[in-house]
Amino acid sequence: MLKNYFKIAWRNLFKNPLYSVVSIGGLFVGITFSLLIGGYVWQEFQVNEGLNNVDNQYILTSDWKNPNMGIDFTSLAPLSKALKDNYPTLIENYYRLDGINVIISNKNDHFRESVQIWDSTLIAMYGFKMLYGNPKTALLNPNAIVLSAEKAQKYFGRTNVVNETLSIENFSGERKDFLVTGVLKKIPKNLVTNLSDNYVNEIFLPQGSLSFFGRDQWEDWSYNIIPSYVELKNGIGPTDLTIPIQQLIKKNADQRISENLKVNVVPLKEFYLEKDNHLVKRMLYTLSFVGLFILLMAIINFINISVAHSSKRMMEIGVRKVMGGRKTQLVYQFLTESIVFVFIATFLALLCYPLAKPWFGQLIGKQIPELSSFPMYFIGIPLLIILIVGFLAGIYPAMVLASLNAVESLKGRFKKVTTSIVISKSLIGFQFIVALTVLITTAIISQQVDYFFGNSLGYNKQYVISASVPRDWSPEGVEKMETIRNEFAAMKEVNEVSLSYEIPNGNFGFQLPIHRFNDTRKNEVPMQSLVADSHYLDTYQIPLAAGTFFRDDMQVRDKVVINEKAQRLLGWESSEKAIGQYIKIPEDTISYMVIGVIKDFHFGSMADNIEPQVIFNPKTIPNFRYLSFKLRPGNVESSIKAVRTKWSSLLPNTPFEYIFIDDTLKKLYSNELQLKNAAYTSCWLSLIIVLLGVFGLVSMSINKRIKEIGIRKVLGASLQNISFLFIREFVSVFMVAILIACPVAYALSKMWLHNYAYQIEIAPKTFIWSVLLVTGIILALIVMQTKKASNRNPAKNLRTE
Amino acid sequence: MLLELNGIYKWVKSGGNRVFLLKDINISVEEGEFISVMGPSGSGKTTLLNVLGMLDGFDEGEYNFLEEPVHTLKEKQRANLYKEYIGFVFQAYHLIDELTVYENIETPLLYKKIGSSERRALVADTLDRFNIVGKKDLFPAQLSGGQQQLVGVARALISNPKLILADEPTGNLNSKQGEEIMDLFKELNKEGVTIIQVTHSEKNAAYGSRTINLLDGRMV
Repeated sequence: MLKNYFKIAWRNLFKNPLYSVVSIGGLFVGITFSLLIGGYVWQEFQVNEGLNNVDNQYILTSDWKNPNMGIDFTSLAPLSKALKDNYPTLIENYYRLDGINVIISNKNDHFRESVQIWDSTLIAMYGFKMLYGNPKTALLNPNAIVLSAEKAQKYFGRTNVVNETLSIENFSGERKDFLVTGVLKKIPKNLVTNLSDNYVNEIFLPQGSLSFFGRDQWEDWSYNIIPSYVELKNGIGPTDLTIPIQQLIKKNADQRISENLKVNVVPLKEFYLEKDNHLVKRMLYTLSFVGLFILLMAIINFINISVAHSSKRMMEIGVRKVMGGRKTQLVYQFLTESIVFVFIATFLALLCYPLAKPWFGQLIGKQIPELSSFPMYFIGIPLLIILIVGFLAGIYPAMVLASLNAVESLKGRFKKVTTSIVISKSLIGFQFIVALTVLITTAIISQQVDYFFGNSLGYNKQYVISASVPRDWSPEGVEKMETIRNEFAAMKEVNEVSLSYEIPNGNFGFQLPIHRFNDTRKNEVPMQSLVADSHYLDTYQIPLAAGTFFRDDMQVRDKVVINEKAQRLLGWESSEKAIGQYIKIPEDTISYMVIGVIKDFHFGSMADNIEPQVIFNPKTIPNFRYLSFKLRPGNVESSIKAVRTKWSSLLPNTPFEYIFIDDTLKKLYSNELQLKNAAYTSCWLSLIIVLLGVFGLVSMSINKRIKEIGIRKVLGASLQNISFLFIREFVSVFMVAILIACPVAYALSKMWLHNYAYQIEIAPKTFIWSVLLVTGIILALIVMQTKKASNRNPAKNLRTE
Repeated sequence: MLLELNGIYKWVKSGGNRVFLLKDINISVEEGEFISVMGPSGSGKTTLLNVLGMLDGFDEGEYNFLEEPVHTLKEKQRANLYKEYIGFVFQAYHLIDELTVYENIETPLLYKKIGSSERRALVADTLDRFNIVGKKDLFPAQLSGGQQQLVGVARALISNPKLILADEPTGNLNSKQGEEIMDLFKELNKEGVTIIQVTHSEKNAAYGSRTINLLDGRMV
């Protein structure tokens, strides 16, 4: 019997190819998309899974009463070690790291790298595998260095590089050779070597090298920027550590810290999903929802088309019933058919997966895993999809078809199915709602993202590139860099060059509490402190509100520039009033004169409010990281080439790794850009599925009413008249869909925009255009289809057998 | 002269051969005639009627309708021509199931873009003339065959055509209903409407003033 079902299903597939293509096409799109999203979600849950004993691995995070006192994902440097030493019954092991950014050279090849200085516990605790070298002794020597296989390839072109040397420059310009003592196997993504997306550490230095880099503060209880990890003993929970941690901090750290700090013990697995304001989790939820909705739309399509198609099957159903087929048997038959359809769609989706993978990965900015990287038992998932989706999609049409009255069906009357019109209309209505909502929110997301890159930045990002310079943070170092700056500025390809610690990417060096000279600490304002030379304003074309900016011929040691926000918060009514006034850093002996007020500009993401800023000259605070170049308009590529040539003669030991400010911004908004891309895709997919659905329904409807079209044509109906017959079927549903979709889209967009301190206005225009667009496409589709039917010779339609 | 067919040929290709549906048809019809087309099944009666009604084309020959050369007209002009001058009555009535009697009769006027007040007047007039005012809100399924055909005829006449083409109008009716329809045609003909009907029955053919006999697509 089952074989018979399959045979019929298979034949039906080819009997009406258009119907099959439309049904399978919709399911195929939905399932492919769901598989891709499923792969991505699975991969995100695999993070950290490569670590030994991952369920016992925790990270210590910091909850500061005043968020300016420290970073949330780091902890006090000696804390984890002290825990292990004092509570060996609770703690199995601990790990600390210091991430630094250095230039590594192999002879004349220089690269800037993120390097992790580690506690010797790393390999034992997390079980990283070594390809070459002895894991026990690899990092005992303070001059040792361990690389990943990939980095070994990068520097030496091969992986067995034990006993080779690499030289590293420290922050005061000294060089030292390090001996390669080990090469690590490929490290699966985890939060130990890859705590944030900006720092992927694949090069490791021993704890003994800390002093060379001047960071030997791991015993200092006020040193709070060290990521710290612990592995708990079996059966110990994070709450068991609450009191030990409190006691240790109270005993060792000063009062200001112990009063303000709460240390949390967070499972590594959870931390990945929750960090950065639930970033990963939000993305997972968003994508899963989108995937689910698209799959749902595809299923609805299938249901709608199957029901509409049923008029063609009436005769068959009648005959089957007259011949004694029971209702359940018919239900089974139709279910088999839908399962065969879903099987084909799933099969095609699996074939398509490797092809769509790179495209989708690029779209959301993540690697999507290969099919072969899934565990073996995942083979059951497509089977499960086939059964579940097949059942969901098939059960309703099967029930409708199977319950048709035998005699009525034989006569070709289709009374029963017309009662299901409400259901089928609500289904298509749901599709309209989803498509419209997705379209409108996509439009709004895209407007907001354009706004990030638009004219509201407060500075001019055009033709500006930045490059990291070596750190020599001494007054002499500053002087040397100023000379180099002048050399660059003299180039004809370059408009302006500036030396600074910050570029507008949200990362500022330090936060300072500041109050007016004659004021008390009570009125102090925490401010972002920037360090920039006198050319910063011209390079970024930030407008000045009052006073002047630093000038080369100025004695700048006790002078600062603030932004308007700082001026307001410090209590000066106007920018002019602030000029010539003095400000003070508490407990600092000197006070600084405000010589200028700049207009507010977006230094960081528009998610956050513009913060008060105070700008120091590098001569005051000898810290710097970047040279920013404002190139002259014209051939940018050749300008960059000229700068590169100049760079290699001025800074021979430093790689010229430049980045456009535009790309810096793209990094800053990478999540938003990913969201925008994902939104575009789901927008396309949902439109395609809706159009497939409308196409299927209209063609079925035309089939059913082919005779009526004939009659109407004979009576003189034109193409418009006939198109309108079919358009009318969708008008009311579409109207209701608009009424529901607009407020839903508005609410969703508002919710999302709520994340941003600076938002676009949601304009009615957006809604109108979206509705018009969808209406237009649907109308065009219907007219195209009816045109074909209407051009048919009515004499043929009316032939009575 | 209302219309004229000169040497009309119509064929379909079957394999390499032409199968003729109409062969060398020459007819001229004056206004006010009542013509019956007779012949066995498959002799080409319905095809001829479709050609006359401009619903179907032909492969060779000339067709002039009210001095207009139909064979040279474009699809749209042809449609305008038959919309204006020709009414159709079918054996299976071909009423639209979803529309009431009133709306069925009104449909051709909608397509001719006639204003609503005039439409109402015309439909009321027609309903009255055919004595079906009481049934105007019923759906086709609620009427007997004879009544449905009556609506069909009323619908054909509403736009005041010069020519009515009827394809076995009584084929699905019992004899009494059939007689009533034929009497109606007779009466219309007296009022000046030209009628061409396809029929199997000698008795119905006798209502006409002239009979054209077809056999295998050829006039005999």
